[in-house]
Amino acid sequence: MTTTPARLGALPARRVGEDRLARVPEPAVDVSPYFDLDRGLVDRTIFSDQAVYRQELRRVFAPSWLFLAHESQFTKPGDFFTSYMGEDPVIVTMGKDRKLRAFLNACRHRGMRVCRADAGATKAFTCSYHGWSYDTSGKLINVPNGGDYPAHFEQDQWGLIEVAQLDTYKGLVFATWNPEAPPLVDALGGLAWYLDAMLDHDPEGTEAVGGVHKWVLEGNWKLAAEQFASDWYHVNISHASALMVMSPTGKGPKTEIVQTPGRQYTDSLGHGHGFPTHPKSRFDDRVVHEWTDYEALRERLGDARVEGPMTTGHGTVFPNFSYLPVNGSIRVWHPKGPDKMEVWAWTIVDKSMPDEVKDAQRIYNLRTFGPSGIFEQDDGENWSEVQATAHGFVAGSMTLNYQMGLGLQSEDGVHPGTTGRLYSDGAARGFYTRWRDLMNTPAWHEKNTEKNPEDTP
Amino acid sequence: MSIHPPDTPRTTAPAVDEDMRLHFEVQRLYALEAQLLDQHRYADWLELFTDDLHYWAPVRTNRLRRQQALADGSPGEVAIFDETKASLAWRIRRFDSGMAWAEDPPSRTRHLITNILVWPAGEPGEYVAESSFLCYRNRLEREVDLYAGGRTDQLRRDPDDGRLLIARRTILLDQNVLLAKNISTFL
Repeated sequence: MTTTPARLGALPARRVGEDRLARVPEPAVDVSPYFDLDRGLVDRTIFSDQAVYRQELRRVFAPSWLFLAHESQFTKPGDFFTSYMGEDPVIVTMGKDRKLRAFLNACRHRGMRVCRADAGATKAFTCSYHGWSYDTSGKLINVPNGGDYPAHFEQDQWGLIEVAQLDTYKGLVFATWNPEAPPLVDALGGLAWYLDAMLDHDPEGTEAVGGVHKWVLEGNWKLAAEQFASDWYHVNISHASALMVMSPTGKGPKTEIVQTPGRQYTDSLGHGHGFPTHPKSRFDDRVVHEWTDYEALRERLGDARVEGPMTTGHGTVFPNFSYLPVNGSIRVWHPKGPDKMEVWAWTIVDKSMPDEVKDAQRIYNLRTFGPSGIFEQDDGENWSEVQATAHGFVAGSMTLNYQMGLGLQSEDGVHPGTTGRLYSDGAARGFYTRWRDLMNTPAWHEKNTEKNPEDTP
Repeated sequence: MSIHPPDTPRTTAPAVDEDMRLHFEVQRLYALEAQLLDQHRYADWLELFTDDLHYWAPVRTNRLRRQQALADGSPGEVAIFDETKASLAWRIRRFDSGMAWAEDPPSRTRHLITNILVWPAGEPGEYVAESSFLCYRNRLEREVDLYAGGRTDQLRRDPDDGRLLIARRTILLDQNVLLAKNISTFL
């Protein structure tokens, strides 16, 4: 390992020689004291502390594979979609070679956002500040008054900063700034088996319905990511009103549904997926349900997946991508400071669905999830009120209980990997184990800096 | 649609009279509607709509000026609301469950409806009305949300009693990222 100071060039993209300043390392917080996960204990400081948040951007978001978009949003060269990786604005675009690329949405000259549209089609991204212009492969193609730059100005060294890796998994586009990250499929690990219950119904795959729901929440992003990884427990209480109007009797689910059996998957990568296995614990749309060929799905995916992860489940790809199989809802929890997140939610449908079934899925999802959804309205209330109580000295540093299902996780021989009971904090403990380890490990971009003693807890 | 409102000086006096009567009627309908919503009388509110209602609020995206045609969501895309009278009734039943936590304790809302323009359209007894809304929501101790935008309604007289009913509503909320944790009222 070299001892030269890290340069921005240590970040992916454009590796160059001299035109970079050394990054000034930020002090690291040792987050170990905030956890005793073997006993299911979590200190609330991790949800509200500013220094912890800054470190998350460096050590959790920057090194991880992050969800960007659905492949079906790009059909021809020049199509673009803008999003965020952590708090970094990015452009995802299809180049002339039909390859998807993602760039930092910031001009190399003064950092101005070079693309201010949410989506569209273009030949070039031209900065509206001084006119630096970049093509869809990120190359700097025009610098007004270029003759006034010194001789050592190398235009080809000042392209948009590109992600280190971009890949897709069954229609989902992910990218990472981390050149050392394992391939996407390895990063998804054992969760892929569960994720496929949503993405792999047939060889045609999925497509995204037009439009993205975007809304703000006054809550730390981990509240949502953790809940989607692990928390079926809240459903019967938080969503009691929705369950009531959706149950056939109008009086709410029967006891055997409330007490539904189910499993919850957890792994060392921080992913989680929970699902009931009671055949009548279903809250899917009737039109979609009637169209679905469950026999064909059993053939393709096996009984265990049809009866488990494909039901009314929920999952999180660490760190901030979550999904709901029966709703066709996929979403990313963009961090916006320790106290805020922005939810971006897409609706996906099977390409092979007839139009009326696709539409039924779309409508079902927007009536249940999304900002006006009868389920999601109540999630918003929970997360904002949890965050609102996190700022007191006593309330903000109290120990939270993540003990549900401790000691009950195993390999059940039906569902691959480690699973526990449906009503469990198992995947939340897995999520925070991974989060803690990333937070206490210098990321690739810190490795070339002079060794900081605080980096080794 | 003409860029001029229907009551230009060129119209004859009886027509002006008719326009004023219609405008007054629509304004009163919207004031009543706002009051019902602000008093959380949702079942009564629903009575203001026809049975074949389509109640729709598309999402708004930022698009380059040359692609402005795509800035408002199209039918069949992700939307904030895409409702029938039955699905609105379903949403309303939820509030009556006693466990709809996002509205329990209830929010304080004030729906302000203004900039009303209305003109006859289609069959006799059918009208198009445009209006602007500002809905202030204050919730719990200090949460404040503002929902502002425009509505285009198709209005139709009830064949029995001649009351104006809302048959179709398109809501354009003037926000890109919705700046609220949810929408638990109606617009």
